[in-house]
Amino acid sequence: MHQADIRTFITTNTVASPAGSLSARVIRPADLSGEPPVVALHGISRNADELVTLFAPEAHSSGRIVIVPHFAEARWPHFQRPCRAARPDQALLALLNHLAVIDPALAGPVDLFGHSGGAQLAHRFAMLYPNRVGRLHLAAAGWYCLPDTSMAYPYGLGADKTPDSLTWARRHAQALATYLRLSVHVYVGTADDGRDEALRQNTKLDQLQGRTRIDRAAHYVDRFRAAARAQGIAPDISLTRLPGVAHDVGQALRHDNLAAHITQNSILRFSAVS
Amino acid sequence: MTQTLIAALADAKWTFSTRRVDCGLVAGTDTNFAAARPGDLILAQVDSLGQHKRVQLTTGRPSFIYPGDMIVLACGARYAPDQFEGLAEIDPAGADLLAGGGCIGRLVARNERIKSATRLLPMARLLDAAGMPLNLDRFALPATGRGPDIPVIFVLGTAMNSGKTLATAQLSLGLRRAGYKVAALKGTGTGAFGDFNEYADTGAHWVADFTDAGMVTTYREPLERVKQGLDLLLCHAADRGCDIAVMEVADGLFQRETGALVADPWLKQRMSGLVFACGDAVAAAGGVAELARHGLRPDALTGILSCSPMAVAEAEAATGVAVLRKSDLADPAEANVFALRAGAGSRQAA
Repeated sequence: MHQADIRTFITTNTVASPAGSLSARVIRPADLSGEPPVVALHGISRNADELVTLFAPEAHSSGRIVIVPHFAEARWPHFQRPCRAARPDQALLALLNHLAVIDPALAGPVDLFGHSGGAQLAHRFAMLYPNRVGRLHLAAAGWYCLPDTSMAYPYGLGADKTPDSLTWARRHAQALATYLRLSVHVYVGTADDGRDEALRQNTKLDQLQGRTRIDRAAHYVDRFRAAARAQGIAPDISLTRLPGVAHDVGQALRHDNLAAHITQNSILRFSAVS
Repeated sequence: MTQTLIAALADAKWTFSTRRVDCGLVAGTDTNFAAARPGDLILAQVDSLGQHKRVQLTTGRPSFIYPGDMIVLACGARYAPDQFEGLAEIDPAGADLLAGGGCIGRLVARNERIKSATRLLPMARLLDAAGMPLNLDRFALPATGRGPDIPVIFVLGTAMNSGKTLATAQLSLGLRRAGYKVAALKGTGTGAFGDFNEYADTGAHWVADFTDAGMVTTYREPLERVKQGLDLLLCHAADRGCDIAVMEVADGLFQRETGALVADPWLKQRMSGLVFACGDAVAAAGGVAELARHGLRPDALTGILSCSPMAVAEAEAATGVAVLRKSDLADPAEANVFALRAGAGSRQAA
């Protein structure tokens, strides 16, 4: 244990799960607000340390516990989506269950933030376990699992002839309505328009969701709204374009104090919110 | 003589079905075995070994038994097509060990593939200070004062050994992994610690069976009594903070009490989900059809059937119901489907 500041402590917890072990830093301010914990998921750069640095001051000022998992590359070469090869959802669940046992303040639904690959896991986790999530914050995801049964998982929630496709379709179908009722906040930088190596690129995905993270974020929000309305649900989803921000979590979270907005549940005042 | 027998109780092997009994209440004995009713506590001596060479102790471990051993069990009937059928009757000249969990009675039928029952010499019926027979129903869980307001996933099957207990345990495990407080319950059957321990090993928040409701067996018990017992367990599950219950109903759909439950509106009123365990595709089709006759449709099929991809394909084609393997049931993503459908997600979040 070490001190982040005078009254906020950071501990490291490691849990085992059927899918593999997972470590996380838990940033715990001395004065708790009673608001749900925030879980911050890193992207493929696995920069959990940076997330701890960025969120520690916000945990202190907001009185919210922030949990920062670290999907180590050796154990988790893939962690962005639950599939036959990897079940990061099981590890994250095991972590949340363990933390809830050792600290009652960590029980109940959590607000989930993810950047890039972390945003991919965040929304896919929420689609399977919407009851475990309060607010969902998705920043700069490379691509999304659309709430659309006309295309097979992982692009959508339908089934095809690939192994396990029906299984994933069934698992998502029951949770979809609950997922569509979540409060979802999507963020993307206006300078995050590159087709870098980290961005999944193929013709099908480009056609379905767009060529850049900006296009894909906008497309996802539109499809989410349409899916919710089709089920008679008033969608609670927003898209915030972060002016001048590239594909950089530090830049994104510092921009106009986005980290504080996430931890304090406040409304962003960007004109680009839609 | 009575004092000698009471003294013998201290060294006797108290069986699993008697685990809720307050031994200190035993103040006397009689030999009025003709008056014995289901649940009465019986002190017996092992006469000769047959099918059961061990009994299950209250401590949760099996114990070998030897001729001459003194054991305490409950008078009860037994329904087990793979073993015995027996009645809750005690012949003073000799009785049968109908179940290793602690059930003594009279054997009336035996599966040809197994041995005869272990024979017991009834020594005494246990009485309290007022001279009244001590019966398991006296040691049942107390009423809670609240209703059985908890989602229940029932597990039914085609027969004994079709995979119901494994399904109940694995679904409980999956729900626990998904973050739910689970009650794993054995609703009907004959008292034994095998299923009970298998449930407990999953980390379920609370585990109980019909012996906690004061019955050594539900076989030949009136349906109202069985339903009251099930509700008592569900009330306690809710009272202990469980989010959801998984309840196994023993034996097959045509078994006397199971069939009556399936046909009773009580089951549909309590049911938030249904898993059906069976051994092959034809059994799956038959079971789904029989359930449909009562207005029920399983959410999933499982059991021995699920081990064979070919049987799975046939069953899914014949019934339109998904077949889940034990690894599926234990998967939190799959278990959460049951929980969300049952409305347990909102209880958990509350």
